[in-house]
Amino acid sequence: MASTYDAAEGGTSIREALRALRNAPIPGDEMGISVVRPAGPALELTPADATPPRLEAATSIEGDLLAVRGVGEPVVAFAAFLDGIQASQVILRGRDGAPVVHGTVAAVVRRRSDRILHVWRGAPRISRALYAPVPLIGARELEWLRSTRMEIVDTFAGGDAALARHPMELLALARTAVQRRREELEIALAESWCASEAEPLFVDGGISGAGRASQSMFAVGVVKSHRTLYATGGALTVVTGLEAGARTTAFEIRSPRRTTVASWYLRLRDARGRDPFFGLVRVEIARESWSTERADEASRWVLAERAPVSLPDKRWSTMAYGIRDCEEYLRALTGA
Amino acid sequence: MPVLGRVVATERKPNTPHEFHFWTALDSPVGIGTIVRVESAQPVSGVLPVVYGVVVEGFGYTDVETPLHEVLGYDGEPGGDAGAPTRRTEIRLYSAAVLRHVPEEPLQPVSMGTVHLASDEDVAVALRMDAYLTPGSSTGIPVGLYRSGATSSPVWLDADFLLGPEAAHLNISGVSGLATKTSAVEWLLASIFAHFPAKKGRVAAVCFNVKGPDLCFLDQPAVKLDEADRALYDRLGVPAEPFKDVEYYAPYTAKGYALNTLRSNDALAHNVKPLTWGLREVLQYAEVLLNKDDVDAKADALIDFIKERVVDQEFSDPKYLTAVHRVQSFGELERWFRDLLTGMEKQNAESWRTHHVATIRKVRNRLTNISTRCRGLVTDDGTVSDLPFGEFRDRAVYVVDVANVEADAQDLIFSRIVSMLREHLEKRDLGVEHVIVFVDELNKYAPSDGPDTYVRAMLLDIAERGRYLGLVLFAAQQFRSQVHRRVVGNSGTALFGRMDPDELAMPGYSTLSPATRTKLSTLEKGQLMVRHPHFSQPVFVRFPRPAVLSGREGVERFPQAAEQTLDEAVTRALRTLDRTVTLEWVKDSIALADEEEVLRARNRTMQAKPDDVKAFFRAQLKRRVRAEPVDARPRQPLKTAPTDDPYGF
Repeated sequence: MASTYDAAEGGTSIREALRALRNAPIPGDEMGISVVRPAGPALELTPADATPPRLEAATSIEGDLLAVRGVGEPVVAFAAFLDGIQASQVILRGRDGAPVVHGTVAAVVRRRSDRILHVWRGAPRISRALYAPVPLIGARELEWLRSTRMEIVDTFAGGDAALARHPMELLALARTAVQRRREELEIALAESWCASEAEPLFVDGGISGAGRASQSMFAVGVVKSHRTLYATGGALTVVTGLEAGARTTAFEIRSPRRTTVASWYLRLRDARGRDPFFGLVRVEIARESWSTERADEASRWVLAERAPVSLPDKRWSTMAYGIRDCEEYLRALTGA
Repeated sequence: MPVLGRVVATERKPNTPHEFHFWTALDSPVGIGTIVRVESAQPVSGVLPVVYGVVVEGFGYTDVETPLHEVLGYDGEPGGDAGAPTRRTEIRLYSAAVLRHVPEEPLQPVSMGTVHLASDEDVAVALRMDAYLTPGSSTGIPVGLYRSGATSSPVWLDADFLLGPEAAHLNISGVSGLATKTSAVEWLLASIFAHFPAKKGRVAAVCFNVKGPDLCFLDQPAVKLDEADRALYDRLGVPAEPFKDVEYYAPYTAKGYALNTLRSNDALAHNVKPLTWGLREVLQYAEVLLNKDDVDAKADALIDFIKERVVDQEFSDPKYLTAVHRVQSFGELERWFRDLLTGMEKQNAESWRTHHVATIRKVRNRLTNISTRCRGLVTDDGTVSDLPFGEFRDRAVYVVDVANVEADAQDLIFSRIVSMLREHLEKRDLGVEHVIVFVDELNKYAPSDGPDTYVRAMLLDIAERGRYLGLVLFAAQQFRSQVHRRVVGNSGTALFGRMDPDELAMPGYSTLSPATRTKLSTLEKGQLMVRHPHFSQPVFVRFPRPAVLSGREGVERFPQAAEQTLDEAVTRALRTLDRTVTLEWVKDSIALADEEEVLRARNRTMQAKPDDVKAFFRAQLKRRVRAEPVDARPRQPLKTAPTDDPYGF
């Protein structure tokens, strides 16, 4: 049966993959993997061993110490928003618990024109694949999986098959692989935008891993989660005590495998009486294009995206409506 | 046609064979009443189905989950919108009622597909008009123009379903004062006269003008016909001109001088004719005027006896009557009653030919009272001036003005004219094969509740059986719910102008969607919702202003004639037959006649329409001895007594 989705839309859905497996002739007598019934919850909804919260010192590039700056009145400048989604689910398990995960990832740039968002360049990027620890799956089983004609991503690539057999670890590997695939799509889109457009792009999350886009003056990353806080000692008080419409002075974020970027914290909404992270985002721009004026300007752009609010999303205090729109769009399109 | 929307179906809002849902861009020209075409992508039995529908409901919403979120987003400041750089995602979702599936079988829920605005051809197919718009044998009657976006398509009614024999009758509802009901009928009559196929026979209309000057100027051109209206006339193939052949009929006023109509201006008198009936005509429909509680079986028997044995023949009864009577008028009937009752009194008789004296007195009272109650319509002298039954002309309009007539007389006029039409149509000798009878204020004549009157029974009869005869009822009312169900139920076609919201809340409108009801309560002038047997859903159309002078403009342009003296009234009447009649001539002719005699002479002249009007009129007046001048010869003076002779000797 033909797929509902063509190649540009990312291949085969979970239901179609399972149907294809059911219809495929089983090679040999008995299979080492079987379909999970009932299907489990999406992996994104299950608790994971997240990175523990931590404080990390950063090098200030705007004065010696982290300080507070007003940024002025909001200015509408972002021409587009970039975000991606992912959804993965275990559909098969081996006798030893090795999971085969169906993963859907997608990314899109939504360009704003006359206050309405449209898909940039006509289509989002969608990828659907089976994520499996290939060395741990038998040849017949792999042949059976391939009968679905879906891409099979080896979650074990480069790993030592003899060391990692704990099913939960295998699941974490699958989840990481799916996430990596989503980031790849986002990076490709960000690079594409920066190569062809000359207007600011609002990127959901950091841009330090965004390849050439991380060096572009048009990409502005906005990070909503703060498991890593780039402030220690007195600087932490500066960050948590930020008032609405103010930012911290900028600092550099360096990483061995990522591009160095300039970053600062910005309070979008009044957090008095609320959680210290209410309305707090961290903005990233290319290090090369950074200046105090540029940081103020980018902050004003981000502040302008406070309305309309992205309720009912739980992250509404920090999430721009354009980003929520990207997510809703991709969910509607992928069914994820 | 470009893609306008896409069909969408969810578990909560599934598509069915009779309803589907689709979404559009925010700026799409779709609205309530828009006709759309769905092109399905899923073949059924090797054929890609096409579905036509009319939009009956619309929904719009954003991704805001609760209004509170919106309040939070604006910090409680409604004016804070200016700063929002992005508009919320918003949807326009529409529900459409299915008009037609092509192919018709198998009848399945509407499948996913693209939605397009209907083109001219699509509208014809969707409304099944293609079945009767066949070139060369079309029976289409344009009722208006369907408009949506850039599309404007004529909507046609099927003459076979409007004027019979398949179905018939038209019912129009709408609030008063918005130029809907009367205007729509005037327009539709013009359309019928322009498009009714000749092979279907001849058609005429009888319109009862029941209020004001509404229908009094159908032969006069409109003042306010603008270019848009003319374009509509052109598009629908109807000449933008007044009716060419119109005759007006009105009874006289109670005084009897002038006709009781607002069309009394001298300039328009040429086609206004009196409507008067005598004893014979009225007795045929006596039951219309006689209260059933009042006239029992005994009285009924006496009335029948009078109709069959007394009227229009010589009647004698030497025992009670002093003379041979020939009763032809109310006056003669009164004399007959008086003679009979006097005879009975003299002989102290309590009954005559099984009829008790009390019954005779009661019938006398009721019958002779009719000429008083219907003064102006019913003549004591038996003069009859009637519609030209047997000589009806094709495409002619006969307006009967009863606007200023008493309710009893209105009932009598209506009953008799319709009954006469029916009789002549049954005998196929009316002069035309189809007659449209237009009655406004139908809720007064055929109410859903109240006593069972003769008029209502007759309207029910027309509604249920008239189509076989070619007798078609075009009726209008403000409140359809107050009209007898069998009358409106038998109307094959229904038009709705702007409706009163309270009326729309009645159960009869529950089949309409809330949005359609809202649209009905806010319709502009010149817009109608049309129901027709071929249309599986009502459609909205626009029709042009009538090309005739409206009643209000008509009375301004042709003011009512001032109250006339007897001389003027007679002059005016006779001049319609002979333009050489002058006021001086009339004054001279009637100088010695009494008023009753003059009016009788006028009525008889008007009825006879003689070649020599003057001679005929004078002949109707009683002969009188011509006055002679006093002899001028000097008379002999009386002999005077000598002044010196006191005794006269």
